[in-house]
Amino acid sequence: MNNGTRGLAAATLLAVAAPAVGEPPQDGEHTSRISDEPAPRIKPEDIPSRPSLLLELGNPFLGSGPIDPGFELPGGAVAQPSLWVFGTYRSAVQVFNQGRDTPNLSEWANRLDLFANLQLSGTERVLFGIRPLDEDGTFSGYQFSPDGTDGSVDGFNFDVTTLFFEGDIGEMIPDADPKDFASLDWGISVGRQPLFYQEGMLIDEDIIDAVGITRNTLLPAGGSDLQLTFVYGWGRISRNNNVELSGQSLFGFFSAWDFPRTTINADVVYVHDGNGNTDGVFFGLSGVQRIGHFNTSFRVLGSHATERETAAVSDGYLLFTELSWTPPWTENHAYVNAYWGIEDFSSAARGEASGGPLGRVGIMFAAVGLGRYGAPLGNRPNDSVGGAIGHQWFFDDTRKQFIVELGSRYSTSSQGLTAVALGGRYQQAMGRHWVLQLDAFGSLVHDGDEGYGARAEIRYEF
Amino acid sequence: MVWSFVGAGRTVSWAGLVPADNKGSAMEQRIVSPGRLSRHRRVMSVGIGVLAVAWGGPGLFGPAVSPARAADVEPDLQDIADRAHEQLLLGERFPSATTCAACHPKHYREWSVSQHAYAQMSPIFNAMHGRILQLTNGTNGDFCIRCHTPVGMILKEPEFMSNIDRHPTSREGVTCIVCHRVNKAYGKISGRLAIVEGDLTQTIYGPSGDNTALDDAIADVGLVTDPNRGGLQVHGRIDKFFQITTSAQCGTCHDVTLVNGFRLEEAFSEFKSSPASRKGISCQDCHMGMDPGRILAERSDPEFDRKNYDFGPAATVRGYDTPARKLTNHMFVGPDYSVLTPALFPLHRLIKEESEKDDVSADGYTIREWLRFKWKAGWGTDDFEDKVPDDYIDTAWDESDTDRPAQYRWQEPWDSPDDRYDAREVIQENLVLLKDMEQQRLRLLQNGYKLSDVVTERADPGGIRFRVQVSSGTDGHNVPTGFDAERLVWLFVQVMDADGTVVMQSGDLDPNGDLRDLHSLYVHNHELPLDSQLFSLQSRFVVRMVRGGEREQVLAVNYSPSPLPFLRPERRSSVLLGRPGGARKHKQGIEPNGHRWAQYSVKKKQMTGPGPYRAVIQLKAAMVPVNLINEIRRVGFDYNLSARDVAQVLVHGHVIDTGDEFQRVIWNPDSELPADNQVVGHQVLWEREVIFDVTGDE
Repeated sequence: MNNGTRGLAAATLLAVAAPAVGEPPQDGEHTSRISDEPAPRIKPEDIPSRPSLLLELGNPFLGSGPIDPGFELPGGAVAQPSLWVFGTYRSAVQVFNQGRDTPNLSEWANRLDLFANLQLSGTERVLFGIRPLDEDGTFSGYQFSPDGTDGSVDGFNFDVTTLFFEGDIGEMIPDADPKDFASLDWGISVGRQPLFYQEGMLIDEDIIDAVGITRNTLLPAGGSDLQLTFVYGWGRISRNNNVELSGQSLFGFFSAWDFPRTTINADVVYVHDGNGNTDGVFFGLSGVQRIGHFNTSFRVLGSHATERETAAVSDGYLLFTELSWTPPWTENHAYVNAYWGIEDFSSAARGEASGGPLGRVGIMFAAVGLGRYGAPLGNRPNDSVGGAIGHQWFFDDTRKQFIVELGSRYSTSSQGLTAVALGGRYQQAMGRHWVLQLDAFGSLVHDGDEGYGARAEIRYEF
Repeated sequence: MVWSFVGAGRTVSWAGLVPADNKGSAMEQRIVSPGRLSRHRRVMSVGIGVLAVAWGGPGLFGPAVSPARAADVEPDLQDIADRAHEQLLLGERFPSATTCAACHPKHYREWSVSQHAYAQMSPIFNAMHGRILQLTNGTNGDFCIRCHTPVGMILKEPEFMSNIDRHPTSREGVTCIVCHRVNKAYGKISGRLAIVEGDLTQTIYGPSGDNTALDDAIADVGLVTDPNRGGLQVHGRIDKFFQITTSAQCGTCHDVTLVNGFRLEEAFSEFKSSPASRKGISCQDCHMGMDPGRILAERSDPEFDRKNYDFGPAATVRGYDTPARKLTNHMFVGPDYSVLTPALFPLHRLIKEESEKDDVSADGYTIREWLRFKWKAGWGTDDFEDKVPDDYIDTAWDESDTDRPAQYRWQEPWDSPDDRYDAREVIQENLVLLKDMEQQRLRLLQNGYKLSDVVTERADPGGIRFRVQVSSGTDGHNVPTGFDAERLVWLFVQVMDADGTVVMQSGDLDPNGDLRDLHSLYVHNHELPLDSQLFSLQSRFVVRMVRGGEREQVLAVNYSPSPLPFLRPERRSSVLLGRPGGARKHKQGIEPNGHRWAQYSVKKKQMTGPGPYRAVIQLKAAMVPVNLINEIRRVGFDYNLSARDVAQVLVHGHVIDTGDEFQRVIWNPDSELPADNQVVGHQVLWEREVIFDVTGDE
């Protein structure tokens, strides 16, 4: 980076950081004092009513009215089946160029996440999901550039992306413990489902065939809560390079501990490659806590290829830390995140659309999950250090927000990406279902062209 | 047409409420204490009743209303008639607790001051629920309120509205039928259980299903089980519902998991992992026995029931007592307390509906009328009534209404001294009940928390360092439990020199009444320092911000990733992850039989006064923090309360006025008004004093 680049980065840093210290309002009053004035009571009609789902059969989803008493099953459980269909539709026009002589990508892309939740009782359910507008990273819509690839894009499909059952063993067969003194409340989940651990750095898999069993609300000495989970995955496992391989098995043991001052997550995963030699062992350890006025988290993750290093698995470590605070006199949010990728850390499993593990570093390190609009600074940690500083403002009682972020990464090897990016995101709720999102960024890349991108997305929740 | 309609409206209103009485059903079940009704009103009741029936309404009310004005009021009367009729029908579907009170006065009395009775009446809950609806764009639906007023939600009342206008049984919150008209073991269903509808004569569900005492009472007293017959009605049958005796019954509501997998409350889940569960001790054993929060005998003791529970008649009707049996305490003592006027809570039977306002046969006064009753000013006491000047003005009277003659400076119904005395009687009874509850609550909290060892690690001129041990007193669940993200239990510690000057303190309150933690507005705005030595057991809601990790929020609605928080079923397995992606609770309570150490230090530079030094250590508890009141105030509080009104009672009785305007808390701690003693806000559970024999200026 030249001096100009450094100057720009420093100026932006100051611009982003300055509001993060906050200032008292200029009215000369102590507004910390709770109001003495009675707040006019909002009329019932001014509170948003419950937006209906696409389809509701049986008891309405969180709707008032009589509740169907259901029927008793063998074993004593009471079933009250209800079917709720819901989801999210996203549509965006966008242009993206990461720099480094990569082509200009412009497109109109669409994504629909459609779910049907068959609620069987208070704790048991079956979730079915499809993504009919995208498949294998191809999103239905229209590509404008680069030349030669322009034209409509067909990602239509009806593949089942989610189909799993989850429940509580004690609740499924209450007759096994009619007086309810035994600890039978083991949670179980089986089927095709997403998995997400260590903020997506250890596992960020949107489709995996797996069974898991959980014991929650354990009460360890000196702690307030403990959750232990074991997961066995047998199919649809995509590895660190986002490529699904056959013959893979995943064994994971995950724990979450609440202590008085911190929450600890300690996880370990082993992936066995039945068809090749990409076995690997992975771990993640994190502490999340507040220190003084600051929210902090510290994570260390590691991976080791037990046979040989490939794109699917490799040796390395990832250190990651987050620091954030709420500036005085505001509800806004300022953050500074940093990472250090030592050698080539690899995740245990990453879905085909999950990219790399650095998404939580900043919005400059994350793809948007729609079309080809990727991460301006990339999201693979291999032999690099980097970070982001950002500020999120809330307006209109949180219905509007604006984020400005400055991100940078530096390659500690000779071939990696070194760049700095400045970006922003504006989001606004519109009515009771719609969200408008606008993104833009510009980046300076070492030994390469500048990157840039802009997009407008409309999102419909139902 | 109009005239006849007005009359008809009155007639329907009258007749719509009376037949229940005439048929000897619901209205007869209400305990009508003749002594409660003032002489004035009793005479008026009979007189106007006769006139209304004889004249069919128009003769009584018509001439006073011109046709033009009648047209104006027509919708109101129609509305009143409709509501009265509706309430009559609803009473048949969902019997009120007041009807149960006729035969179960002990149970009613206990329940009336319980948190179950307060569940929906609470203005804090109502505002919190409204604010969450606002923040979640309405997608939270009836999730919170389904537990707090199951009847109201079955009736499809709006999720957010004033309790004043809710159906009376809806206002009763977790009323009798919420447990005793359930006949299926729904398990952990976060309150979404089906209530069996039916009038009073229909089957109820209890622990034994033994109908012997009921049959005897029916035969001996002449109770009626036919809804179409006159007389004192009673449920015709009691069926056994085994689950009502188990902890799972409590778990239907006291294990709250949102549809997105957020584990909001885990009291039942904690119990399932507890030593108490393994010993066969149920929720009921500790929380419905004689000593709140504690059993009085080993569970294996053959005489356990006799030692742990009260015994007596389950029902008392017309002087007939059913045979003595084990009685459970329906006070359900917990950490909450009412912030309402004792005119409204504990619930009592002299509240009538707006639709009954002009119905002289209906007992009591409307909530709006009760809210105007200035019990703090002494209305209805001899002290006040003997001295009240002729020109006393009810300050609720609109003085700009100059057309009103002076004698109407009192607004009805409080223009009658008899009515004021009647109302005062209710107030006095409720104050006694609240005081009883206060003692029970203190007992519960003292059973749950212990102030154990205090260890001095260092006490010399270079500084003081000591540790304080706080222990759980229960083996049944964490403490705090349930809604532990808003429960306050903390240590208040002051170290003073020999002159009494405070050289160090922790656990003190900011001018709003909050602890000096991150939720204190004064701390957040850097007007007061963070209490770095604070020992608090309050769990925390934390939300996952768009970037930058997790931050604490008073309410766990996460608006950082999207400006449109939209609650839908979780798209991942909530079992395996134990939480949704955007929010969780960082639990900080003490595990069963566990303990925590609090560390305190006084630095050398603070030790400027003469020794010896003295530390006062108090373990304190409160219902919810004031910052919650601030967070939810945007939707306004029910009963026309201000945030300050609510906060005043919340933190009542626990403030030191420094005289510094800036430091002064928002309520008046020096108030000597009798009203200020109706409840205690923060409670001191335990107190200890330690002397450090050190001279600070050496």
